[in-house]
Amino acid sequence: MNCLEFRRELLIYPQSADADFVRHVRDCARCAEAQQRALAFEASLKSALAVPAPAQLAEAILLKQATEQQRARQRLHRGGALLALAAGVVFAFGIGMSLQAQPLAQVSVDHLEREAFVLSMTKPVPEANIRKAFASLGVHVGDLPAGISFVACCPVGRYSSVHLLMPQANGSVTVLYLTDDQHESRKDFVREGWLGRSVPLAHGTLVLLGHDASQFDQIENQWRTALQSAT
Amino acid sequence: MSSKQRQFDALVRSLSGDLFRYGYWLCGDEALAHDLVQETFLRAWRALDDLRDTAAAKAWLITILRREHARLYERKTPQFADVDEVDVIDERDAHMPEFAGEENLIRNAIRQLDAKYREPLLLQVLGGFSCDEIARELKITPAAVMTQVFRARQKLKAMLGGDTQQAQIHELP
Repeated sequence: MNCLEFRRELLIYPQSADADFVRHVRDCARCAEAQQRALAFEASLKSALAVPAPAQLAEAILLKQATEQQRARQRLHRGGALLALAAGVVFAFGIGMSLQAQPLAQVSVDHLEREAFVLSMTKPVPEANIRKAFASLGVHVGDLPAGISFVACCPVGRYSSVHLLMPQANGSVTVLYLTDDQHESRKDFVREGWLGRSVPLAHGTLVLLGHDASQFDQIENQWRTALQSAT
Repeated sequence: MSSKQRQFDALVRSLSGDLFRYGYWLCGDEALAHDLVQETFLRAWRALDDLRDTAAAKAWLITILRREHARLYERKTPQFADVDEVDVIDERDAHMPEFAGEENLIRNAIRQLDAKYREPLLLQVLGGFSCDEIARELKITPAAVMTQVFRARQKLKAMLGGDTQQAQIHELP
């Protein structure tokens, strides 16, 4: 290692334990001095970055988590009643949707309920953000449906997904596109009061969730168009 | 207390400070950093079963925090305070840490770094991650990480009193 290489390494990783680096420090007094200066700078840098964390930060997080857990338990109790209600609706109107025990439906609904704050969003997000979210998971999309009011990349159970919200006249429809898992067949389902549909699409699976399924066909077609060239 | 809760408690107590500091330098605002860390841990709790290797917990949490920050950024763009307006420092003193407070000068310089330089540096200095780990986190090549941390230090030194000479080779054979 010559002096030039040493100085470059010094600015990349001043504490390097690389054998050539250490040997050069031993053999070159000027570079050894430079390393001392660099280490002093590094200590100052570390100290400057170490802004104090708020007092009771850990306690605040643990309290919030405990509160959320309690709410989740309450939701679970309510879930039974909602399921019964949903089953009644299905029976009464003969929608013909079957109750599915598939984990995909459950993890999707769980995710939607965990991020319930999203459901109130109505302002359209820029199309570039939507394309960016898909691109970050390796999916390129064509013409996008209009009016999407939320987009984020989210882990949904064991799946990677793009989570979107599409406000409709009869209530919002949550769209999850699981980018790396294609389910075998198209299915409608009801879970915890939510009407849902899973559709194998491109290399992944599209999941639609809402309280009104009348827009599902149209939304499915819009995403079929958008994702038909997905890679 | 369940083993999952014990594991979560331990993660919160051992890593919330580091996560807060990382979040602070990412968004430049204490209150936002607090919210980011809180949301990060709440998400971590929900997905704790996915964490197979506890040694990788810090990197896992950083990934969640960065994702949360990106979402936040999509909704609104937090602005760093205008350094020139906040710090009314005599220009002479700006290059003399003993007069102006070395830590403040360094902090202001870090704030002025472009995010593409600041973030790898944060991951290295605050997070203690290797170039390969940073590359995985930022989804760039290790060579790009090396270039960015190199330039980050070079720019900081230049901002902190013209120490650029130190960054240059003193003599070449």
